[in-house]
Amino acid sequence: MALELHPLAQFKIEPLIPIHIGGLDLSYTNSALFMTIAVVLITSLLVFGTRRNALVPGRWQSIAEMSYEFVADMVETNAGHGAEPYFPFVFTLFMFVLFSNLLGLIPYSYTVTSQIIVTFALAAAVFIGVTIIGIAKHGAHFLRLFVPEGVPIILLLLLVPIELLSYFIRPFTLSIRLFANMLAGHTMLAIFGGFAASVGLLAILPVALDVAIFALEVLVAALQAYVFAILTCLYLRDALHLH
Amino acid sequence: MSEERPPDELAQLGRRLDQARSRRGEAPVAGDDNAGQQQALGIGFRIGIEFVVAIGVATALGWAIDRVLGTRPFAMIVLFFLGVAAGMLSVYRAITGRGAAVGLRPPPRDLGRDAERKD
Repeated sequence: MALELHPLAQFKIEPLIPIHIGGLDLSYTNSALFMTIAVVLITSLLVFGTRRNALVPGRWQSIAEMSYEFVADMVETNAGHGAEPYFPFVFTLFMFVLFSNLLGLIPYSYTVTSQIIVTFALAAAVFIGVTIIGIAKHGAHFLRLFVPEGVPIILLLLLVPIELLSYFIRPFTLSIRLFANMLAGHTMLAIFGGFAASVGLLAILPVALDVAIFALEVLVAALQAYVFAILTCLYLRDALHLH
Repeated sequence: MSEERPPDELAQLGRRLDQARSRRGEAPVAGDDNAGQQQALGIGFRIGIEFVVAIGVATALGWAIDRVLGTRPFAMIVLFFLGVAAGMLSVYRAITGRGAAVGLRPPPRDLGRDAERKD
């Protein structure tokens, strides 16, 4: 199988503009390029979409307003009262993940979110931010989060480590979920694409399958952005309202 | 999403809006007919990986502790079982509508207007 047809070749990071500063490789890569494209697209959608501010919105204004309202509603219902200051962060996260996922579905593009380091950086930002918010809001009281109510002392010896573990696992589940979904989907597309290249006339079958998987991938792209944002909201709720 | 034809014009408009929304890859806003379905899909995609990652991360952590303290293999074994417990717990919480909350408490009631339904 030729190297270009290898299912994992699509995830290779290639420096486009090599930049080396003091032994650090800060090259502008294809991954960075598609992050830039995502940010530029989101910014232009929101800036140009809302420029006219018509009472009856046009197509682009509708899209901008719909995504705003969708995330605003998500934050309100899932993070509870007092979460409004964090709406811009959740909105940015949601739009970035959504656009990165969807951009990755365009042939010959690069899927930024298929890199674990990218999703882990996002998840770590959420995790650290939420922890800081919790401690700033509740101080040492925040630690009560790990102590279930009304449990005998002896059981606490077992339960507190479990609670701690399930808290510190959050950034990993958050990042691995997104990364694994993207990686698996795109690998699957490439594998069936590879079949098509090697079976001649029968290629119609893998191509048909690829079309179906592609539809599924569009759903997964949107859903994973939604899941990422909604979990951020739920974590925020935990930190804001220590029940 | 392809049920029988909606009876009135408004429902048909709603359906077209839904289609347009899913075309551009956005989940229908809450309050739509298939919001519940979307919610279920969201939870399904969420918990699929929760269990596996909990065990994996906990075991890896145990392995690292063993390496540092030279207690192989006890920390890894203990943390493996803790990971199983933590994974079970988060799956259980996700499906019983306690969200991702840490701590065995009932979900708070005074949050957003329909926090219960959402998660």
